[in-house]
Amino acid sequence: MQKNNILNVLHETLLAEHGSALEMLAACKKSKKATHVFGYFEHAKDEYIHTKAFRELLSKRTRLLSSSIARKYRFNSLGLIKKGYVARQGFLIETMKVKDFIAYVYTNELLAKESFNKILMLIESFPEDCQVITDIMNDELRHHGLAKEHFLRYYPSLQPWQLRLYKFRETINNKTRKLYHKNLKFLEKIFLPLYSIFSVVISILFNYLNLHQFNRLDSNLMDISPKSML
Amino acid sequence: MFIGISAYNHESAVSLVDKEGNLIDYCKEESLSRIKGDRSFPRRSIDRILKNNNIQAINIERIIFYEKPLSAYLIPLKIASMYIPQSNSFIIHQLRNFNKASISCFIDLAKYFPGNEQKLSYIDHHLAHTLTALTYSNIQKNICSIVVDGFGDRSTASISYIKDMHNIKEIWSSEYPHSLGLFYSAITDFLGFNINEGEYKVMGLSAYGNKDSRYAKIIGKLINWDDCSNKIKLDLEYFSFYKSIIDSYSKNLIYLLGEPRNPFKPLLPKDDDFQKYADIARGAQDITIKILIKIFEHAYKITNSNIFLFSGGVALNSASLDSLAKLDFVEEIIVPPSPGDSGAAIGTGMYGYLQSTNNKTNITTPSLYPSKYSASEQSDQIEKLLSNKFRLITMNKEESLLITSKLIQKGEIIGTIISNSETGPRALGNRSLICNGLNKESVERLNTVIKNRSPFRPTAPAMKLGIAKKYYCLEDALITSYYSMTATCMCKENSISRDFPVTHVDGSARIQIVKEGSILDQLLDLMSPKGIEILANSSINLSGDPTCFDLIDGIMVCSLSPLEYLLTDLGLYQKIIK
Repeated sequence: MQKNNILNVLHETLLAEHGSALEMLAACKKSKKATHVFGYFEHAKDEYIHTKAFRELLSKRTRLLSSSIARKYRFNSLGLIKKGYVARQGFLIETMKVKDFIAYVYTNELLAKESFNKILMLIESFPEDCQVITDIMNDELRHHGLAKEHFLRYYPSLQPWQLRLYKFRETINNKTRKLYHKNLKFLEKIFLPLYSIFSVVISILFNYLNLHQFNRLDSNLMDISPKSML
Repeated sequence: MFIGISAYNHESAVSLVDKEGNLIDYCKEESLSRIKGDRSFPRRSIDRILKNNNIQAINIERIIFYEKPLSAYLIPLKIASMYIPQSNSFIIHQLRNFNKASISCFIDLAKYFPGNEQKLSYIDHHLAHTLTALTYSNIQKNICSIVVDGFGDRSTASISYIKDMHNIKEIWSSEYPHSLGLFYSAITDFLGFNINEGEYKVMGLSAYGNKDSRYAKIIGKLINWDDCSNKIKLDLEYFSFYKSIIDSYSKNLIYLLGEPRNPFKPLLPKDDDFQKYADIARGAQDITIKILIKIFEHAYKITNSNIFLFSGGVALNSASLDSLAKLDFVEEIIVPPSPGDSGAAIGTGMYGYLQSTNNKTNITTPSLYPSKYSASEQSDQIEKLLSNKFRLITMNKEESLLITSKLIQKGEIIGTIISNSETGPRALGNRSLICNGLNKESVERLNTVIKNRSPFRPTAPAMKLGIAKKYYCLEDALITSYYSMTATCMCKENSISRDFPVTHVDGSARIQIVKEGSILDQLLDLMSPKGIEILANSSINLSGDPTCFDLIDGIMVCSLSPLEYLLTDLGLYQKIIK
């Protein structure tokens, strides 16, 4: 159970770190100012390095497992969107104001550090791996510091309490997200029988669907109505 | 202007075609999002090609989507409904994800480009592939088109006869779930590689397999060509993709072949189970070729054409083309540089042009590098990044090439981010990692240290036509394919090319004949007098990432790997090692 939990955590963190790398790379490409481009690039690079570190941590633990278990933890970039690590609407920099984006980075890097503390507890029996996580935590703190520095330089009128407010807001958001997903899982369980019945009904209806209607043999494909979805 | 869109199933892409039938621009969503295989609505790509070409969305005459979404949605559901209750989760998933299927193209278009949704039209999926291949063909009348993929919107393989561009008649098809593409994907999955990503690894691995082995023979029986009905027959008992969203193969396949490969375990030729998995790959590759031969023979029988357009995801199987070209009735096979779904955006855009009036018949063959990009668009933005991380060796283009050629002679590896990007999955020089193709150490370093690829995968050689003829058995029917690296060929008997580090273990190579005037051609001009006639060429990216698109991506690869040199539109750069 604990082993599966570690694997889940490592897999999810791997996706989260890769998502962060892409977020930072997107910010880097969107920035016009050379110093910002440089800053975001360095941040993206760190996140890529973290991704690689988590990939290795995960790989080390799954290599000797049976393939039926191991394949669940296979890395697939499409999981980033599927699992919400990159929003379907686009990268944060594409959907947020720059100020809010920096605030997001500022607070989330701090929150990430807290999450890494939990990972440390999970893998405490592996000192080498703990060192890897500690290094990543230091990076996250450095990113947090840089975001703060950015704030003080570009938004000097912003008060410390406003930054705390950002952090508070993001903490609530994170908790709400977790609650939402827990509830979603709970609702899934409740609705599964209903879904199953629905699926059987649909199957019965689909018996009346004649696949020959989709047949285009001997027809000129260029003449098929371009407005038809069938 | 016409926009062609491919999305929601495989890599999303967008093409822009003008009123004269010219491909103006093309962009893959993964190039911009940096998510490999990104299949989401290509919002960024549409945005980019509109901005790049100074086009207002209002000036777009028609937007065409590359499949009939309702067919693509309903047919898998209908098939799954025949397997209730095993397919319960599949049906639930399909129903719940209705809004994420290609049906939502209209909604996404309305959301991101309001007002343009009314311009949306739909094209038959295999017609999109056919038109893509036709775009790259010099002969556009009285030829045969063969499309083989996983699943389009109706069928998994089809044969059409092209009387002319406005008269394309489908004369044979193979119905879902009997799919050669999905069979190959399921075996890819069994071998521990990601579907839609690892198929070319299976192709590379198959060269190590024994065609007479037990595993190869077993695999060869899982799918066949039925000579009575002239159809592909897949033994559905061993596969699950048509009734499960998670499993592509069934437990029966595990009983038959044993434990699937653990994806995290390195696959090295010295390992105990390497041969077993190589034999499985060999079986899959051999039966794929066998069935493709049957399809080609049937196509010849019913169309009497000896010129074939070949497209669809299975046409990415470059190792099968050599055998197809050897069929005695084949005169020419034209494979577009991107025969898969992302490339189908090109044919989709062309459909808009062809439909705009009935008398238009001229399509200009597009460049192999249609994705517009110039490093100058980022030069101010990346000034600090470049000056901090790189030393500019020279800005002068001729000097850059000369120094690059000298570095390659010394055994160095060079990354290129030059001008427009390639269409397909193969880097042809503008987004490449290149080194001396005859220097074993350099090729090995490129393959394993920089790209972190498995050692069983070969690196492709690039050379001029004359050199290719000297060392390799070229098929006349495939000459155009060698320019876009879509076909492999064998080394000549007793030729020294068998020992080249860019030659695969079975004596094959996925060669690239360089286009005159291309960057690789210019480099070979400089290096040939020094005895370097072959370059090793691989796409510039980090393992698991899409090929680099812009200079920032290239700088990232340099920063995260031991790659030291970057040849760009802005000059030749060397990484500062701190």
